Amino acid sequence: MLFDLYFVFRVLVFPGFTFLFFFTMFCDWVERKIEARMQNRMGPTFTGPGGILQPFADVVKLLTKEDIVPGGAKKTIFRIAPIISFSIIVFAISFLPIDGAAIIPNSSFAGDLIFIMALITIANFFLFLSGWASANPYSDIGASRLLTQFLGYDIPLVILALAPAFLAGSLTIASIAASQYLPFIILAPWAFVLFIVTLQAELEKDPFDIPHAESEVVGGLETEFCGGKLAFLRLTRDMQIVFGAALVVELFLGGPYGPVFFGFPAFWYFLWFVLKLLAVVVVTEYLTCLFARLRIDQVLTANWKVLLPLSVLSLTLTVAVATWVYPLVM
Amino acid sequence: MSKLAMWARLKSPWVLHFNSGACNGCDIEVVALLTPRFDVERFGIKLEPSPRHADVLLVTGSVTQQCAERLKRIYDQMPEPKFVVAIGACACSGGVFKGNYNVLNGVDKVIPVNAYIPGCPPKPEAIIDGVVKLLNSLKPEKPAKKEKKK
Amino acid sequence: MSQKETDILSVLQAKFKDTSVQVQPQQLGKVAVIADATTYRDVLKALLEADEKTAVIAITGIDLGATLGVFYHIRTSTAGIITIKVEVPQEEPRLKTISDLMPGAAFDEMEVTDLVGVVFEGHPSPGRLVLPDNWPDGVFPLRKDAKLDNLQFKPTPPSEPASPGNEDIVKIIIGPQHPALLEPEKFALKVEGEIVKDVQPRIGYVHRGIEKAAESRTYLQDVYLVERICGICNACHATCFVEAVEKILETEVPPRAKYIRTILLELNRLHSHLLTLGHAGLEIGFETLFQYFWRDREPIMDITEIISGNRVISSGMTVGGVRRDINEADIPKIKGMLTSLRKRLPFYKKVYEDEPSIKMRMKNVGTLKREDALKLCIVGPTARGSAVDIDVRKDEPYEAYGEIPFKLITYNEGDTWARMNVRMDEVEESINIIEYALDNLPTGPFRVRVPRVVPAGETVNRVEAPRGELFYYLKSNGTAYPERVKVRTPTFANIPAFLATAIGSNIADVPPNFVSLDPCFSCTDR
Repeated sequence: MLFDLYFVFRVLVFPGFTFLFFFTMFCDWVERKIEARMQNRMGPTFTGPGGILQPFADVVKLLTKEDIVPGGAKKTIFRIAPIISFSIIVFAISFLPIDGAAIIPNSSFAGDLIFIMALITIANFFLFLSGWASANPYSDIGASRLLTQFLGYDIPLVILALAPAFLAGSLTIASIAASQYLPFIILAPWAFVLFIVTLQAELEKDPFDIPHAESEVVGGLETEFCGGKLAFLRLTRDMQIVFGAALVVELFLGGPYGPVFFGFPAFWYFLWFVLKLLAVVVVTEYLTCLFARLRIDQVLTANWKVLLPLSVLSLTLTVAVATWVYPLVM
Repeated sequence: MSKLAMWARLKSPWVLHFNSGACNGCDIEVVALLTPRFDVERFGIKLEPSPRHADVLLVTGSVTQQCAERLKRIYDQMPEPKFVVAIGACACSGGVFKGNYNVLNGVDKVIPVNAYIPGCPPKPEAIIDGVVKLLNSLKPEKPAKKEKKK
Repeated sequence: MSQKETDILSVLQAKFKDTSVQVQPQQLGKVAVIADATTYRDVLKALLEADEKTAVIAITGIDLGATLGVFYHIRTSTAGIITIKVEVPQEEPRLKTISDLMPGAAFDEMEVTDLVGVVFEGHPSPGRLVLPDNWPDGVFPLRKDAKLDNLQFKPTPPSEPASPGNEDIVKIIIGPQHPALLEPEKFALKVEGEIVKDVQPRIGYVHRGIEKAAESRTYLQDVYLVERICGICNACHATCFVEAVEKILETEVPPRAKYIRTILLELNRLHSHLLTLGHAGLEIGFETLFQYFWRDREPIMDITEIISGNRVISSGMTVGGVRRDINEADIPKIKGMLTSLRKRLPFYKKVYEDEPSIKMRMKNVGTLKREDALKLCIVGPTARGSAVDIDVRKDEPYEAYGEIPFKLITYNEGDTWARMNVRMDEVEESINIIEYALDNLPTGPFRVRVPRVVPAGETVNRVEAPRGELFYYLKSNGTAYPERVKVRTPTFANIPAFLATAIGSNIADVPPNFVSLDPCFSCTDR
C-alpha cells in the first residue's frame, strides 16, 4: 500500500505538492499583476511570457543565496521553523477536495473542518517561533504582532465557518462542499462577507498587514532570514493565501462541484475549483489595494468590538433562517 | 543547474537602498524608479527593507564619517552573491563635496563597488541602464551570434 | 524703517540706555543689538515681552579673530529680524543658555558648541549634534585656525545595550538604514508596550561640512555647493544665497529674472509637496496613493527639465539673475501640463476628506497646539497646520511674490491630517502662481553682470522653502571668497515639534507624524 502508485502520484505530483507549489506561484503572480495594475503600473513583465515566471525566479534565486544564521539566534528553531510551518500548511490543504476528492484520498473524517483550522493556527505559531528565534528586536515585534492578530481573529473565523457547517449539517469539509446544491454564498451572504473580511486579517493583508509593516518593523519576523529559509517563509505566506481562498471556495462557493459538460468529471471539478479560487484571490487582492494600514489598537478594536459580535450574530441568523425560513421556501 | 541559477539571479535582483550622506537628489530618483512612469518591477527588481533580503546595494552620497562604519556593516550583513552600485557623482568620487572634512570621497573607499552611475542626480533612465549593465556583465561570454539573413 | 520697527527699537533703546547695550540699525533695515555676556538675556527677555510671536531663528557661531562671536537672530512679527551680537574670548568661551526662555534654541546651541566650541552652561542635553561620534576632541571646524588635515579619529564608542535597566521598556532604533527613511538618521525610541516614552535623536549622518567648504570657494562656486545642501529644495537654497550676495552688492535684479526665479521656486514647492503627500501614503501603508501621487509628480519634473535642463537640481539661479531664459515656445506646453495636474487635485482632496482609513491613521495624530508651536519656533506648513500664520512670502515678500496674488493657507486642527491638507492646498496655490507668472512675464534682460569681488559687509536673508522658512547669514570680507555662510534650514527648527508630539503617542503613529513635518535631514545636517 505504501507503494500504491495512485497515492504517491496524488500526493506528490497532482493535485499534491508539485501542483500546489506551482499553483501558489501562479497565484502570487496574479496578485502582483493586480496590485501593479491598480497602481497604474505593469508589474512583472519580462520574466517568462507576461512575467509569469517571476515568482519562480524569486524562489530559485533565494535558494541559491548564501545561508546566514545570526550569532545570537536560537539555531535549531531558526533553521527548522520556516520549513515546519510550510509543511503544516501543505498538509492542511491536502484535506480539501480539489478535483472531487482530496489530495490524500479517503482522508476526510468527521470534524476535519476544525482540524484544519487548528493546523493553520499551529503553522502560524511556528511562524511566530521563527521570528522569536531571530534575536532581533524588529523580528520580536513582528512575531508578537502576528500572533496577537492571528489568535484574535481565529475566533470569529471559526464561528463564521460554523454557518455553512450548520447549513450542511456536518463538520466534514467534503460533505459541506458536496451538499451545496445552492452555494452557501446565496443562502448565507452575511457570513460570506464577514468571512472575507476576517480572512484579510488572518492572511495579514491590507488593511490588516501590520506584522509586515515595512515602515515600522523593517522586515517584521522575516528580517533576519535569507536564502532558502526566506523562500520558505514567503511560500508559507503565499500558500496560506491559497489555503484561505480554497477554504472560502469549499465553504461558500460549492467546492469543486459545478456543471460537467463532457468527459471526465474530475477534470471539470478541478477546473471549477481553480476558477473559483482565482476569483476569491482577485477579490482579496482588490481589498488589499484599496485601503491604508490600520494601527494595532484599531485592529484589535475591530476584532473584539466589531467582528466577534457580528460573527455570533451571523451564526444565530443562519440558524434562525435555516430552521424557519428555508424549509418554507424550498 | 547553474544556468537556472544564473537565469534566476538575473531575473530577480532585489535591491536595498542606503543613503550614506547625500543631498536626497539621487535618492528621490531611486524611489521614482518604483513609480508608474519607470516601474522597475517589470524587471523583477523589488525594494527590500532588510539587508539580509537584498542582492544589490544601491548607495548614494559621498560617505560621511558617521555613515562609513554603518555602510560597512550593512554590506557585511548581505548574503552572497551581492553587488554594489554607486549612484551619483558623490558616490563615485565625492562630487561637489570632495575634500570636505567629514567626507570620505566616494563609496569605493569603504566597500567594493561593481557599477558606477555618474550624474547629479542621474536620471532614472540612467539608473536603470546602470543596473541592466551590471546584470549583463554577470552573464558568461556568449559566442558571437550568426547574422540572420534578411 | 516702518513705524513698528522704530517702536521696538525705541523700547530697546530706552530700556538699555544706561548699559553697554548698543542698538544699531544695520544694513537694509535689519537691526543689530551689540550686547555682552551679561546683558544679552535681558535683551531677549525684553523682546519676548514686547511681542508674543518672537522666536529664535538661528544662532551663528563665528570666529572673529581674538574673540568668538555668537549672534542670536531673533524673528519678531513687527520689526523683522533683530540680531543680538555677543562676543566671548577665545580662551574662555562660555555663555549661559537661552533654552529656558526659548526651548526651540536648544538645537542651535548644540551646533555652535560642536562647530565653534562655545559652551552653553545650563543646556538641558549637551552632546554632539552634527559631528560624528568619533570626532577628535578640541577640533572645531569653523574656527579659522582649525587643522582639518590628518585628523586622528577616536575609536567609535560602543552603543547602548538593548534594554537598559527596566525590562518593560524596549529600545527600538529607527535608522540609519530603515525603509521608512530616505536618509540616514537615528531615532532611539524607548517604548513601553506600544506607547513611546522617550525619543533620542542622533543627527549628523549627513553632515558634509558645507559651511566650512563655502569659505574656500568663490561666490559663484558656492551657488553650486549650496544648491546641493538638499536636492529637494535646491532652488530655495540657491535663491537665498544669491539674494544675500545681491543685497551686499546692492544689485538690482531685472524683473524678468525675478519672475523666472519665482517660477522655479514654485516648481520646487510643487514637486516637494507632491513628494511628501505620496511619502505619507507609504508610511500609513497606502501604497496605491503613493504611486498615484508620484505619477502626477512626473510632469513637474518634466517642466523643470524644459526650463532648466535638469529634472531635480535646476541650477537656474546665479548672482545677478538667472542662467537661462524661458523659451516662449515652451510656455503653452508647460501650461497644458499644469492644467492636467490641476484637474487631478479634486480627486485627491476627496480622498483625504472621505477615505476612512486615512482619517483613522491621520486625524488626531501628532497634534501640536498653537501655543506650543509658537514656543518651539516651528515654521512652514507644520506651523500653518496649527493656525500659526507665518509665511515669508507674505511677511517679507521677495522676488516677484509682492506682485503675484496668492492665499496663505492655515488649518486649525494641528494634527497630521491638517498639515497634509495645508500642503495639498498649497499645491493649488503654487499652480496659480506659476500660471500668473507665465502670463505676466516681463520682457527685458534676464541677468546683469556683477563684480567678482564682494565688498565687506554682512546681511541676513530669508526665503520660504517648501518646508518652511530658510535663513542665511552671510558675511563678506572684500575678497572673492565669503567670510562666513550660516544656513538655518526649516527642518532644523521643526525637529523639536516631532520630539514633543512623539512622546506619549502610539509607536504606529510615529511614521505618519514624522512624515507630516516633512523632514529633510540633508538640510538639517548640511
